[in-house]
Amino acid sequence: MTINSLVETDFPEEFIEEMGKTDDVLPEKIDANSENVEKGLAKLVLTLIELIRKLLEKQAMRRVEAGSLSEEEIERAGETLLKLENKMKELKQIFGLKDEELNLNLGPLGDLI
Amino acid sequence: MTLYTYGIIDSSDQIKESIYGLEGSGVYNIPYCDIGVVVCELNEPVQNVSKSSVLAHEEVIERLMEHFTILPVKFHTVFDGRNSILSMMQSYYKHFTDNLNRLRDKVEFGIKVIWPADKIKKSIRNSRKKGEHEMPIPDGSLNKEFMRKKLEKYRINEEFEQKAYKFINVMDIFFSKFAAEKVLKKLKTENLLLDAAYLIEKDGQADFKKAFEHIKNVHTGFKFLFSGPWPPYNFVICRRKVNYLEIPNKKICLIKQSNIRIW
Repeated sequence: MTINSLVETDFPEEFIEEMGKTDDVLPEKIDANSENVEKGLAKLVLTLIELIRKLLEKQAMRRVEAGSLSEEEIERAGETLLKLENKMKELKQIFGLKDEELNLNLGPLGDLI
Repeated sequence: MTLYTYGIIDSSDQIKESIYGLEGSGVYNIPYCDIGVVVCELNEPVQNVSKSSVLAHEEVIERLMEHFTILPVKFHTVFDGRNSILSMMQSYYKHFTDNLNRLRDKVEFGIKVIWPADKIKKSIRNSRKKGEHEMPIPDGSLNKEFMRKKLEKYRINEEFEQKAYKFINVMDIFFSKFAAEKVLKKLKTENLLLDAAYLIEKDGQADFKKAFEHIKNVHTGFKFLFSGPWPPYNFVICRRKVNYLEIPNKKICLIKQSNIRIW
C-alpha cells in the first residue's frame, strides 16, 4: 500500500474505464506464433493505414473549409476517401478486427481514434 | 544478480532506515559524487508486473521522498551490476543534478476531469440543426454526399474540441497560479477532458487542494479525480545523453566503492 499519496474521487469506476481506453492497443512485444501472426501483422498494418486515412480525411476537410478545392476535386477526394473507407471495413472484417483495436497513442497528438 | 532501481536521490549517504523493496530485498544507495542511485538486489529479473510489485516499487519511492529529493525511475528498470549503474551515472550526472535542484521541495499532484461529452456533442448537433450553416459542397453525387457528411462530422468535432479547450483553459489558469510546472493531456478520450499533473511546492499543498475544491464545486456537471502528493514522475526531464561529467569547481571526484575514477 502507498503511504502518503491519496486518490480522491466519487467516480472511481468511470475513471478506471476512461483510463483503460487510453492504454496502447499495440503491445510492447509482439507475440508472434503460427496461429496469430497473420492477425497480429494485419492489426499493425491496418493501424498505420488507418492513421494515414484519418490524416488524409482531415486534410481534405480543412481544404474544403478553406475553399481551396474545386467541385471536381471535391468529387475526386470523396471518391478516394469513400473507396478507402470501404476497403478498410472489408479488411477489418476479414481479419476480425474492430475499430477500437486499431487505436494508436500518438503522444502529444492524442489517440488516433 | 540484478540491481533493481527505484530512483536517483540528492545524497551519497547510506540510507539510515531499513526499507525493503521488491521480494523483500533491502534497499541501499549506490553513491556517485554527491548523489546516489537507490537499488535492491534481485536474484532474477521481475518476470511479471503484478499489483503487489508495482505497489512495492511505489512504496519505496514514497519512503525515500520523505527524506530526500528523488527522481523516480520507471518500474522495472534493472542493471546487470554496479559498473553499469556507475557508467549510466557518469553519462547523466549533469541531467540528474539539474533535475534534483529543480524538483527540490516539490511534489506532484494529479487532476483528472471527465466531462459529459455525449451531452455536449448532442447540444452541438442540435444547435447546428437549428442554425443555417453554409455547406461549401454542392448537392450531387454519392461522393459529394459522402464529403458533406464527413464535413459535418468534422465541424462538430472542431466545435467539440474548442469547447473542451475553453473549459480546460479556465481550470488550468486557476490551477497554474499554485504550480511551478504542469503537464496537461487534453481530451485523451472524448470523456476524459483533462489528465493533468501539477508540480507544487511542498508548502503550497494545502492551497492547491483548496483551489481544486473550488473548481470542483463550480463545475458541478463534471467528475473529478484528485491524487497526490506523488514523486515528480511527470517532471523529470532527461532528453539526451551527455558524454562528459561536469563537476563543480573542477574537483576530482572519486567514486566510492568502485574502481572507476573520474577526473
